[in-house]
Amino acid sequence: MLVEHARNLAGIPDAAHAEYGAGGTAVISLLACSLQGQTINLDLTPGSRLAELSGTLRTVEHTTCSYGLASDMQELASGHGLRVGAVDDTGEVRATERVDHPFYLATLYQPQLRSAPGRPHPVFVGLLNALTGTE
Amino acid sequence: MHAPVISVLIDVDSAWRGQRRGGGRGYGAATIAALDHASQSLGVQAHVRVVPTDTIDRDVIADPGAAVVVGPGSPYRNPEGVLEVIRVARENGIPLVGT
Repeated sequence: MLVEHARNLAGIPDAAHAEYGAGGTAVISLLACSLQGQTINLDLTPGSRLAELSGTLRTVEHTTCSYGLASDMQELASGHGLRVGAVDDTGEVRATERVDHPFYLATLYQPQLRSAPGRPHPVFVGLLNALTGTE
Repeated sequence: MHAPVISVLIDVDSAWRGQRRGGGRGYGAATIAALDHASQSLGVQAHVRVVPTDTIDRDVIADPGAAVVVGPGSPYRNPEGVLEVIRVARENGIPLVGT
């Protein structure tokens, strides 16, 4: 989603994900330290949809990511309609959302790994609410 | 009225890879389960369909009543097709989550 945003809105037509090879401008790059199988602490942005859905400003999430938003591209996650939804303890962006869209959320972690019967993850509750118009 | 459709863009071979590691659920299965947990808690019905990226079709972004979940499990077999779905969803207000 950040690659699409970079190419079509942020003026980086050759934006690329490093997993597909070295061509273009790497927006998503290999993390210096892989987060595969880790848990990460997140600070949610006050006033963001993610914070509103979560009902808190601090969460712990699971991630399997070996890739993240490139360190020199962090500003991509805000501006041109995006705002930062969450940052991790190192200050790196972990979630971004559109302010001009019914529900558009990109996470650089895996909320589905924290979901359980009777304890659905707020991200998927938000998606379902947006879809069924009950928000 | 038809139940709303949620298309989950995942390539099965990579998305289920996690199942072999540490005995945990695969990312794909976890995504389907998470949508199920949310539907049940909200008491809403949604039809969840798994769409491998090399079979992306018009139904993925059929409006109204569509939502899209992208990933996890890159690299995708059809990354340009995934980017096109993201663009259309962004421009048309189709609910979209990418993990």
